[in-house]
Amino acid sequence: MKTRDRILITSLELFNTEGEATTTTLDIANVMEISPGNLYYHFKGKEQIISELFEQYETALGGTLTAPLERPLSESRGQVEDNWYYLYVVLEEMFQYRFLYYNLDNILQRYEGVRKGFQRLLQLKRAALYAICQTLLEQSVISAREQQLVGLVDNMTLTLTFWFNYEKLLHGRDQQQVTIHQGVLQLLTMIAPYLGNEQLTFYRDCESIYKRMLDDETRRRQR
Amino acid sequence: MTDDKNKMTDKASEIAKHIWLAGVGAYGRAVDEAHGRLEKAGVESPKLFRDLVKAGEALEEEAQGALQAGQQARHSVEERINRVRDNFNLQRPVKGEDLLALHEKIDRLNNKIDALSASLAASGVVKTPRKSAAPRKKKPAAGTRRGTSAKTTRGPKRLS
Repeated sequence: MKTRDRILITSLELFNTEGEATTTTLDIANVMEISPGNLYYHFKGKEQIISELFEQYETALGGTLTAPLERPLSESRGQVEDNWYYLYVVLEEMFQYRFLYYNLDNILQRYEGVRKGFQRLLQLKRAALYAICQTLLEQSVISAREQQLVGLVDNMTLTLTFWFNYEKLLHGRDQQQVTIHQGVLQLLTMIAPYLGNEQLTFYRDCESIYKRMLDDETRRRQR
Repeated sequence: MTDDKNKMTDKASEIAKHIWLAGVGAYGRAVDEAHGRLEKAGVESPKLFRDLVKAGEALEEEAQGALQAGQQARHSVEERINRVRDNFNLQRPVKGEDLLALHEKIDRLNNKIDALSASLAASGVVKTPRKSAAPRKKKPAAGTRRGTSAKTTRGPKRLS
């Protein structure tokens, strides 16, 4: 692998686990066991690393978020669950770049380019969730009035955006599987009051999987 | 009723389009540049939803192109959805209907055993039917197995 790519991967890993604010280019070079000069040869500083990482992120998540805008994820009622699986996909993608969300305001204040891009992504999140809810409405999977729907979409966007932050503050954990699964469950909890009985089965399955995950985690900790 | 519903979804799809356009309006890089120019000119940049919609409309054609380019992304999204689905189904708890089907099977087996022990008792081959009847009441599943094995092993032996 090229040194340049390795720098990006190592930086992302360190930002995610140690936090962006406390990670310096020196730390990155140390972890990689390269000289700071070598790092500087590829990137002029942390700002350039972050803007490149964010560009990767915007391209990836942007592509994912346009999927439901282009065409409904569920063509028929039988495929409704695809919408819920899609939420996993989105959260998984966000999780890879979670350092942004852990320290959001701070990062957006310091990096102008990231701020604009993040605002664009936020709008896209909202539009994608609206497209999903609207398809569900058309397929009579949910029933809601239009004003409720807009409120629901905003609530979901809010939860989606700040989920990692909230989870970390509340539980202090950084575990992909549990965090993402609970995030999907939380988003579904918002839709649940509008769902028919048929779709509640999925919701209940989600709940029991979550419960088992928590049990497993408790057992791991006790060991 | 259906008319109302159509009206509602029409309206919803219009709102969706507006939200989408607002997203596009905020998303288009050209809009960023326009904002920059406005800010320089001392004019407040458009923050209202309808302004974003307008900006989006102006960029709609460009955005449509971007969406088409997103078809590849769409393909990878579908692939990933499939992966998540498989993973989810593996973890999924046993469904209620699966359990119901099992219960029905057990009930049918119990009925068979009842009928068999009744006919055996009537033919006088088995002197004391209480052995096959007693465990069935306590534990249907265990009783089932014991009952059938008792029938096959004991029946022919006594006859010979």
